[in-house]
Amino acid sequence: MQILIVGGGTGGTILGNSLARRLASEIRAGKVRITLLSASDKHMYQPGLLYVAFGQMTPDQLYRDEASLLESSIDFHVDPVTEFHLDRNEVKTGSGKTYAYDLLVIATGARIVPQEVPGMAEGSENFYTEEGALRLHKRLMEFRGGTVAMVVSLPHKCPVAPIEAMFLLHDFFKARNIRDKVKLQYNYPVNHVHATANVARWAKPEFDKAGIEYETLFNVREVDPVKKIVYSEEGTECKYDLLIAIPPHRGMEMVETNNLGLGGWIPTDRFKLTMNDHDNVYVIGDATNIPVSKTGSAAHFEAEVASDNIVSVIKTGVPVREYDGRVYCFIEAGFDRATHNAFDYINLPELKPPTKSVHWFKVAYNQMYWSTVRGLL
Amino acid sequence: MPQRKVLDARNTFCPGPLMELIANMKLIGVGDELEVLSTDKGSADDVPEWIKKVGHQMVGTTEVNGVWHIVVRKAK
Amino acid sequence: MSTDTEFAPASVAGERGGIAPPVLEQLAEIAMLIGSARDAMSDEMVTRLARAISEGATLLDRLTRNEGLLQLLRVLERPEGQHLLIGLSKALALMDRQVAAAPPSSGGIAGLWKLAREPGAQDAIRLLSILSQCWVESMRDAR
Repeated sequence: MQILIVGGGTGGTILGNSLARRLASEIRAGKVRITLLSASDKHMYQPGLLYVAFGQMTPDQLYRDEASLLESSIDFHVDPVTEFHLDRNEVKTGSGKTYAYDLLVIATGARIVPQEVPGMAEGSENFYTEEGALRLHKRLMEFRGGTVAMVVSLPHKCPVAPIEAMFLLHDFFKARNIRDKVKLQYNYPVNHVHATANVARWAKPEFDKAGIEYETLFNVREVDPVKKIVYSEEGTECKYDLLIAIPPHRGMEMVETNNLGLGGWIPTDRFKLTMNDHDNVYVIGDATNIPVSKTGSAAHFEAEVASDNIVSVIKTGVPVREYDGRVYCFIEAGFDRATHNAFDYINLPELKPPTKSVHWFKVAYNQMYWSTVRGLL
Repeated sequence: MPQRKVLDARNTFCPGPLMELIANMKLIGVGDELEVLSTDKGSADDVPEWIKKVGHQMVGTTEVNGVWHIVVRKAK
Repeated sequence: MSTDTEFAPASVAGERGGIAPPVLEQLAEIAMLIGSARDAMSDEMVTRLARAISEGATLLDRLTRNEGLLQLLRVLERPEGQHLLIGLSKALALMDRQVAAAPPSSGGIAGLWKLAREPGAQDAIRLLSILSQCWVESMRDAR
């Protein structure tokens, strides 16, 4: 049985390690082989990018060698997939090789496409890449006063990031003693300050307390980098001195060029995590079209379900679990306090007030993440 | 011939039915329709408000056994 | 309804019910201790602590899944193994002094002949020979 995992991010790495541990005896006996293909030899801890933007982490702390995170029994290659031939159970890679499989896992993630909004790439900063986060940090340190505006495009990874960024901006300028010289303007596409009801209910009064101004129903149409104005579909406009954009996202390009899903989002069963019409293909993480937050925690929980099912199918012939939509997101509410949002397809509890302890839990998790992807946590 | 795509956003809190709608509006053509299934009553109010503000068209909303079927058309 | 006073120790129950002052004081002290610990901590300390725990867990995981190392540990735990280890550690200590005191070798066949005539050297060669033979035999078995 050849298991092929495409993608070495959070989902792919956790799944690979989990399978390697649970199928150790089958692997030793030569009955199962696990191969993992990634476009990069490095594994990046994406949540760290927000900390880089605010000078709390340095870029080197974001990366580890993917090979150092994987079980030695996994056959790992830095060789990006270029073609999917699902009808023949094989993929073709950049090096020209063909990899056949019995079971495929697609965990290719998502990418930002700021170029889809006219003027966004030239006129705004974002913290969704290392270069972007470093550039934003520099601009924040040099900022002397004026309007810092946030705009949000959909869909995007990490739904709470815009809220966190506003609270961090508030504390950042307070720490620099220029908060009174800075107007913080938050613009959001729907008619609440956040798409998730319990986050919106919590964040609105917190924004009011922090003096963060907000406009809802602001869908970005275009950015004028010269006049420094961002225009909305609704006909309103927002002047800025520094614009932070949460850019629109799409699935990976090769998912689109191979026609696996509209927008690069692969049609996936939200409970079984198998690709529609392909029972031997699992899809996890940001690459799915499941209406679940695009977050590391979703990828983690999905990887656990997929692992349980793959192991069970191999050992007993039947799957055992379904994904219940579980997600766990930390929400930083400033430099020294945080709360969290833990929910699933059915339950959405109210947020608890932010505390220092939860902030430290997040700080600790920034380190414990590496144990998580190794399959220890 | 306008196409209608069904978005099953039942039992989803985040990003939620309206966000799914907005993300999928980008992927369809002008004149095509989206039918969003939602178990959240709030969406039945939120969606028309967004559609009106941004300038698309509401086709209709029906409720069947606790599930709202909200149909919209991309106008631009 | 029984009023079983043995389940209401005097140190906890106050005169009119509720929690007695000494217990309240203790609770307040614990709260202050936690508060002090929180004040003492910083983001950097939490980071270092979490990193140590995370890396420690990874190392432990690797060690405990290494069949070879675990087997070595089992052998070394036995009395003969302890005997071997203690002997080795003593030998290492003695060796340091002797090596420092020994004159540099003259080299050549004559020097080698002189060494081979020492009883200690012949014991050493026998020990190494026995070790090598056992090692080769067990490697053959393991394959």
